[in-house]
Amino acid sequence: MNAAHVLAASTVGAGAVVAFWILAVISVAAALGLVLAPRAVHGAVLLAVVMLSLAVLYGVAGAPFLAFVQIIVYTGAVLMLFLFVLMIVGVSAADSMRETIRGQRLAAGLAGIGLLVLLALVVGHAAIGPAAPAGSNYGVLNVQRLAQLIFTRYVFPFELTSALLITAALGAMVLAHRERTSPKPSQRDLARQRVRGDHPAPLPGPGVYARGDAADMPALLPDGTPSPLSLNPVMARRRGSAIRVPGPGVPAPLPPGEPGKDGGPDAEPDREGAHP
Amino acid sequence: MTSLSGALAAATITPPHIEYGQLSPLLVVFGAAVAGVLVEAFVPRERRRAFHLVIALGGLVAAFALIISVAATPSLFAHGSPGHVVAMGAVGVDGPTLFIQGTIVVLAFVSVLLIAESSHGVSPFAAQAAAVPGSAEEREGLLRGISHTEVYPLTLFAVGGMMLFPAANDLLTMFVALEVLSLPLYLLCGLARRRRLISQEAAMKYFLLGAFSSAFFLFGVAMLYGYSGSVSLSAIAAAAATNVSSATLLYAGIALVGIGLLFKIGAVPFQSWKPDVYQGAPTAVTALMASCTVVSAFGGLLRVFYVAFGQLTWDWRPAMWGVAILTMLAGAIIAITQTDVKRMLAYSSIAHGGFVLTAVVAATAAGLSASLFYLAVYGLTTIGAFAVVTLVRDPAGEANHLSKWAGLGKRSPWLAGVFAFFLLAFAGIPLTSGFAGKFAVFQAAAAGGALPLVIIGVLASAVAAFFYVRVIVLMFFSDPAPDGPTVVTPGLFTGAAVAVGAAATLVFGIAPEPLLALASHAAAHLFVR
Repeated sequence: MNAAHVLAASTVGAGAVVAFWILAVISVAAALGLVLAPRAVHGAVLLAVVMLSLAVLYGVAGAPFLAFVQIIVYTGAVLMLFLFVLMIVGVSAADSMRETIRGQRLAAGLAGIGLLVLLALVVGHAAIGPAAPAGSNYGVLNVQRLAQLIFTRYVFPFELTSALLITAALGAMVLAHRERTSPKPSQRDLARQRVRGDHPAPLPGPGVYARGDAADMPALLPDGTPSPLSLNPVMARRRGSAIRVPGPGVPAPLPPGEPGKDGGPDAEPDREGAHP
Repeated sequence: MTSLSGALAAATITPPHIEYGQLSPLLVVFGAAVAGVLVEAFVPRERRRAFHLVIALGGLVAAFALIISVAATPSLFAHGSPGHVVAMGAVGVDGPTLFIQGTIVVLAFVSVLLIAESSHGVSPFAAQAAAVPGSAEEREGLLRGISHTEVYPLTLFAVGGMMLFPAANDLLTMFVALEVLSLPLYLLCGLARRRRLISQEAAMKYFLLGAFSSAFFLFGVAMLYGYSGSVSLSAIAAAAATNVSSATLLYAGIALVGIGLLFKIGAVPFQSWKPDVYQGAPTAVTALMASCTVVSAFGGLLRVFYVAFGQLTWDWRPAMWGVAILTMLAGAIIAITQTDVKRMLAYSSIAHGGFVLTAVVAATAAGLSASLFYLAVYGLTTIGAFAVVTLVRDPAGEANHLSKWAGLGKRSPWLAGVFAFFLLAFAGIPLTSGFAGKFAVFQAAAAGGALPLVIIGVLASAVAAFFYVRVIVLMFFSDPAPDGPTVVTPGLFTGAAVAVGAAATLVFGIAPEPLLALASHAAAHLFVR
């Protein structure tokens, strides 16, 4: 009889024990799947399963506040954020499984299994007392008692988390918000700029091929050379000479745009105007 | 019925009692940080820096004055009491904590001077952190000559967290403090104006590894809670004295909490983030991390291991021995192979962490006071050294490669001389503060029965002295490279930082007694429980 079983059995009756064993199997299986799934989206869905089963376990154990926080904050907010990020990165993006340091995965796996065995032994050997002492902070009174703790004993760390929140908000602004340094060009400005520029017509789009169509695939000119105009300049510079060229037999990768120079405002005509 | 009794229970909550006077140094720093955020929101861009400087430096000075006034309160230490536990048991106010907080505030003041340096028209921080490196937007921002002024409130938040970290009397408060001090540092690391990709890489690495170590810390807290039924340090100590039934949980808790704390110090084998982060971060932020963060992390480590695990010295000492030996040797030996001056200083900082750990191992009042003294003098020397690093520049920014430092002594003898002085202090040459510090920690370790550790420490110091002296030889006895860097004239702020570092290194080297006496007075009653 392991420690977790003691925890589950001591609080409540047989129904809770049944719920525990069902959810234990589900959550551990989902957690393993989360680690082993190569696709991030599958991982996120399995993570939702883990969090929901934990929430139910908390509820069964008589901690309704924790159960709802688990659902509202983790499943609701954090996981949605994960999914947003995945949508930005690309739903079909899979992890690269190539090892950059040789033997790293084996070593990490051994160390992880070692730690797991160690912690399992530690928890298994520990004599954990009954989880819910009589007359307790669990069940119906749970929320009130938590409130009491938060606003008396732990009021200082609780208030302190505001510093954390301000830092997080400030950090998000610093890392994500870019202030305009020049006035926003109006539609009239953009139209004038386009007509006066070299390309009144829209710039060519990226290439679409049988074996790949992505924003970083250059379109081919009639003579078979890739067209530098068909790529976003930032992307062309990023990929440099390692630009992907569709299929075999296509010569000469694109020269990197503006090598060495940190990209001036004059580097390229305004792509925003060209690709509405 | 139950809901009625619940309502009754809720009605009988007694309001918490907060000792605002004894918490005032912390509150002033956090208040200054919030004021800095308001400045960001309401003051026009051109005038923000001046406002920030007044708020940040003024806040730190006020915090220092308040620390002294709290320390001078006669009722705090009346009848031989080690101090008070305030804020409903969340914060301990005692001698070592006040000493550490004072040290952090002084070091932060000098670091803020470095952060604020812009006498050559360039701040060390990015114009627009959100602009992609190498993009036209980045260039526009640079040409406009703007820079992020959010660094001041972020620095103050980090300093507030650092001041709370060694004062936290329960592990929950300590974890919140750990995050409050870490989160702004992750951000600050990624805001370098030059070499932005390496700076962003440093921030990313620091964030991921830091989050990982926080998770270890939390696992440890959970284990200790499972063992003792409390997160309070004194309750854990009380449980450790009586409850022997599930000691495995206690040991696992010690190990995991220890990993979290040793990571922040950068002790081997948890040091891998340090060279990369120190190299990539803006040098002013590196100075802040190498001084204040290390002091704060040692403060937290000392409190946890002296208060919560104070009766288990026999259990954690062997592991701490191993970590101290590995840290001293690995830090000193790997530093020899470095070719970048910031990476070299990072490994040197790792080695110095090992030297302080020898005094921590002693687990005595002498060990505590030696650690406090070492941290204070080492922090000041480190800021001075990094301030010198900011001054050696070539057109691409700071010239950090050691080959470019060749012959610096012939080109600008004063600067090279000051840097050589700092290096000698790191090496522990007599008449520098480094010697006094090393002497104090090794003496405490030897008195605490860790003589082999002292011998290894002296050997590691000899190895470390080799690469410090090698840099000095490189600066003074080799020919300057033709495309070598220029040494810019230090602005007022950087000059002040270098001067404070050099003066402290000299004064505490020649006359360490007053500070030593203060440290041993502060550590006399150990931590409050």
